[in-house]
Amino acid sequence: MEFIGESIVIGLTQHAPLILAAMGFALIYRLTGTINVAYSETLTLGAYFGMWVNTNLGWTFYFSLIPAGLLAGLLSVGTYFAFFRPAKLRGMGALEVIILSFGLSIFLRYGLQFVFGYPVRFYDVGTTTTYRILGTGVSAFRVMALASVLILAVGLYLFIQKSSYGLQIRALASDEDLAKASGIRPLFVTTLIWFIAGVAGGLAGAFYGVNSNVSYLLGWRQFLFIFLVVMVAGRKSIGSVIIAGAATGIALAALNLRLSQSLYAQLVLILAFMVILKVRGRRMAETGKV
Amino acid sequence: MNLNWLSAFLITGLFSVVMVAGLALLLHLQLGLTRIANFGVVGFFGTGMYVYGVLYVRVDWPFGDPWQFLVCALAGTVAAGIAGTVVGWLIADLDVDAMLLGTFGFATMVFILATTQKSLTGGALGMGGLRFPYKLGTVKANEALWLLILVIIVAGILFYVARVHRSPYGRMLIAVGDNEALARSLGKPAFRAKLLQFTVGSAGMGLLGVMYGVLERFLVNTNLGVELTLAAVVALVLGGSARVWGGVIGAVLTIGVFDIVVQSYLPLPKSWYGQAIPVVKQMVYGATLIAVLMFRPLGILGGMRRDKLMRRVHGA
Repeated sequence: MEFIGESIVIGLTQHAPLILAAMGFALIYRLTGTINVAYSETLTLGAYFGMWVNTNLGWTFYFSLIPAGLLAGLLSVGTYFAFFRPAKLRGMGALEVIILSFGLSIFLRYGLQFVFGYPVRFYDVGTTTTYRILGTGVSAFRVMALASVLILAVGLYLFIQKSSYGLQIRALASDEDLAKASGIRPLFVTTLIWFIAGVAGGLAGAFYGVNSNVSYLLGWRQFLFIFLVVMVAGRKSIGSVIIAGAATGIALAALNLRLSQSLYAQLVLILAFMVILKVRGRRMAETGKV
Repeated sequence: MNLNWLSAFLITGLFSVVMVAGLALLLHLQLGLTRIANFGVVGFFGTGMYVYGVLYVRVDWPFGDPWQFLVCALAGTVAAGIAGTVVGWLIADLDVDAMLLGTFGFATMVFILATTQKSLTGGALGMGGLRFPYKLGTVKANEALWLLILVIIVAGILFYVARVHRSPYGRMLIAVGDNEALARSLGKPAFRAKLLQFTVGSAGMGLLGVMYGVLERFLVNTNLGVELTLAAVVALVLGGSARVWGGVIGAVLTIGVFDIVVQSYLPLPKSWYGQAIPVVKQMVYGATLIAVLMFRPLGILGGMRRDKLMRRVHGA
């Protein structure tokens, strides 16, 4: 019982940003049907810019989230208009779009390193008191971070599922032609999606950064798990992404507690996810044949 | 033989150009012809490199070089091929997103194993003890001969790729890449063809990893970064992913320009070489990939020769 409690607490507090990042990634994935590798750099930008505002302007971490999220959202929209929209208009194939986003990811990653410098950087957040939750010690700061991530994740979920703009987003993702015929402005809604996704990525990056450190590889190191969560959750709903993200965080924490090295936990989970995709892929292929 | 004209920088630079050309040639068969999105090139490369290194250094062989090298190099190549079979089996019948995930996930797993298995690989500190399987006197002479051997291997890969292009098997790969469902409906064994291609290509990448490990003589997990995959993809896309020579030309224009011209001949401040040049290099590679895909998606060499011939014949 103690093990389960520890796994849940550690998994959710450490990996809560994964849920947020996966939600943003899933929004773009559901709309365009392609993988945006460069999404990982919205996390890195959010972490870097939040850290810069926090350490240079003296803003508290929570206030620094606002410019970090907004800038990451603008970056996301900028990449859409500069690269992904022209690529779509030129009829670029799915594989080519992935390679394009791979190139963009590399360009942005090293560009951010060039701008923000080479050393690993840290947020200036001081020390906080520790609370005991289900018998596990967690810093007040991490509890606040988890609460913030959950509020943002639920807010985003409600926005997508309940608001009129959310309805438009879902309609566009389901059937673009039908959405256009229904009076939805695709460009506005698409821009909104890329902005929200970028904001989610930027905030997730800032949370990742404050939990450890900020470096040019921050987003890239999270990308595989963000991608895995979204692929395993499927394209059905944002809710399934939240559940898959939370389950992944808890599974990682549980494996960390059981195995001698934290990297083994990642190894086991990557392998498990690949097998799941293989099994599911086969089933989809068989359905396709019918 | 007088090797004074050959600097250590030039040998390393030329080695990188030829090695990336070899990787891009193998990637051409996977990505260019068969449309298997292999974003885990460095995983197969690393498998060959580390299996070779571990066997060469950690095992007490009853015989010395060159047999020790040959046995370990064969094991490294076969191990990468087996890894290719397993990963290929997992992804070959899935969509492009799952292929990306599978190959990228595999590369991450190789990195994790190279980092965590410290007793075998040395972990993040690295592993020494590798050497050339011959002694010619000077380090420069040894490295120059090793470069020559790599050139012969990559020439062999080029010959193989050219033969595949002209063979019925190659035409089947192209058909599978163009429209897999149609190829299947015509009775072509699409999955088996893709799996075989992925296995052979991955084994070749493993062999190039072995060659690189011997040249470096010290294996460290930072060699397993995404930069190597990027270099192969950029070379292939820039040169022309549908053409045999595309990867070779692309490697000369990317790695050749940065690792030879910029690093060896441009009079840049020394302080730039430590951090600025490698970072700018990656930025330029990323920008090149974007620019080529946006403005010349078929690369410098353009589409396949047979496509051009068909257009001429049919007047399209």
